[in-house]
Amino acid sequence: MSSGTEGLAPGRGLLHIKLLVFWQGLGTLGRASLLIIVLFCSMAVFAPWVTLHPADRGSGPALAGPGGGHILGTDDLGVDIWSMLAFGARTSLIVALAAACLAGLGGSIVGTAAGYQGGWWDTAVMRAADVLIILPELPVVIVFAAFLGPSLGNIILVLVVFSWTRPARIVRAQVLRLKEEPYIRMAGLYGASPLYLMVRHLLPEVLPIVLVQMVQLAGRAVVVEASLAFLGPGDPTNRSWGMMINQALDFPGIHFTPYWQWWLLPPALALAILVTALAFLARELEPMADPRMRRS
Amino acid sequence: MRHARVRSAKAYMMTAAVLLILNFALPRWMPGDAFLILSGEDQSIAVAFSEQQRQHYLAYYGLDRPLAHQFFQYLAGLARGDLGRSYHYREPVVDLILSRLPWTLFVGSAAFVLSIGFGIALGSISAWRRGETVDRVLYFVLVASGQIPGFLSGLLLLMLFAVTLGWFPLSGAATPFREWSGAAGRYLDILHHAALPVLTLALARTGNTYMLVRSSLASVLTRDYVITARAKGLRSRRVRYVHALRNALLPLITRAALQLGGLLGGAVLVENVFAYPGLGLLLQDAVLYRDYPLLQGILLFMSAAVLLANFAADRLYVRLDPRITMDRTTGPLVPGTTAAGKEGTYE
Repeated sequence: MSSGTEGLAPGRGLLHIKLLVFWQGLGTLGRASLLIIVLFCSMAVFAPWVTLHPADRGSGPALAGPGGGHILGTDDLGVDIWSMLAFGARTSLIVALAAACLAGLGGSIVGTAAGYQGGWWDTAVMRAADVLIILPELPVVIVFAAFLGPSLGNIILVLVVFSWTRPARIVRAQVLRLKEEPYIRMAGLYGASPLYLMVRHLLPEVLPIVLVQMVQLAGRAVVVEASLAFLGPGDPTNRSWGMMINQALDFPGIHFTPYWQWWLLPPALALAILVTALAFLARELEPMADPRMRRS
Repeated sequence: MRHARVRSAKAYMMTAAVLLILNFALPRWMPGDAFLILSGEDQSIAVAFSEQQRQHYLAYYGLDRPLAHQFFQYLAGLARGDLGRSYHYREPVVDLILSRLPWTLFVGSAAFVLSIGFGIALGSISAWRRGETVDRVLYFVLVASGQIPGFLSGLLLLMLFAVTLGWFPLSGAATPFREWSGAAGRYLDILHHAALPVLTLALARTGNTYMLVRSSLASVLTRDYVITARAKGLRSRRVRYVHALRNALLPLITRAALQLGGLLGGAVLVENVFAYPGLGLLLQDAVLYRDYPLLQGILLFMSAAVLLANFAADRLYVRLDPRITMDRTTGPLVPGTTAAGKEGTYE
């Protein structure tokens, strides 16, 4: 896969050289995935500028096919599909980013503290992780969303509650190993406080591994958000790909009309491509972040 | 070497306790109470209970008692196999769940067998031809198909095979209202309906098995005893199947046990795509109608299955691999090498 990986070396250096090394370390698959993800991100960020029609109200004839004024056609209310797709990318990516950052960083802080400090805090964290990791995620998320209401905030909250455990455990294991390293012990002997050690030495060391975890988490978050929107009536003012699929399937007899080709297919394909790209990126990053896990 | 965490029985008891408390607490967390909701639920006539009636019903259902008392009532009900009555179907929750269970088990286990079979076969091919074109193509296709959530690939399969080509029925588990002259026709009809859901579920799960077999077999193939076997002049087929594959499948056995637990909960979304009348479809109905007792009952069932499977997988792991000892925390938890993790939650 990835030949000549230099690793995400924590040393100082010129930024563009680091980026170049990073880019070359990624395999073809990783580069393609990264490009696709950047493409989706710019689609989300620049949604108002790359679309011609509003995404929340009708702007043309209902159920028009692609072409004409509407690049991808319109849905049953005459809403532009391309606009919904572009604005829907925002929902997916916001959930992904928020869940990944909160769970990834929160998990690594909790894990670092647990690994370094040990004691009751460690026990409590590991017990909690044990309990959470056995719970079946999707059914619990569905039921939670049903009880709490499927707002974006709630979805992110539930995702974070379920996802912090993995980064936390991985980071904890790394920290357990690292804190016996001579340079860390030396820093401790020179009077560095535990907080200083964690922020200055331990966290930067585990950060690459956490980043890989965050990319994986982002993929899962996209899937969970889409699944919930697909499954049930969420917040209808919130444009999302899952919601588009849900509405298209709710249209009576969509299977017997050609509408699904431009109404159902774009959000489904967008989701599939984004999720696959995130998965491959995570896989390509993994051996770079942790050279010991490098695949032959 | 593979590191695995084997959870103690205590962890399982605690998880079960958390689950029960969660199930008990969820409806009580919500704003308002059951009778405010019941009275506001009906869209046509919004019958509001008077404050006096509300108090009466709260007392009648014991909801004015101390929480601890209610909790023991709830546990006692569970012990008798009583999960309450569904608001929407007006039937005991247990009966509803049991009536849907066979369909989910049917498609789930068929997909399970298929995915394990394909996973082993394709994973072995990839491991033996590591780095060749076959391996690269398989790797790409299987990682992608394993990552794409089942409801999406299900939709695409539905559109392709059922809508465009018309090879398979669009939805359901059997042709409604059709009289079959013999049992064979009926069973064929059921198989015909199950084909696409099973294929979808299998597609989503094969990637998992594939990756495991591929990496496990690749590492086994570099071991000394395999090299010795080759050096002895054994035929490569014998080395592959008898020496290497057998040992490479060890981690798969526990993984498979885990997948069995995800069987009930794993098909939720796929059942919705195909309107397949299993537990997943029931769960969506429950969400749609805010049928809280039903939601809780299904959650309890699905979680219990996962819990049991995890427990079984852990025990199995220890029994099969004498190198593993029961230890609370061992070594780094490397992704993809855990004995027990979450399985099949995204289909």
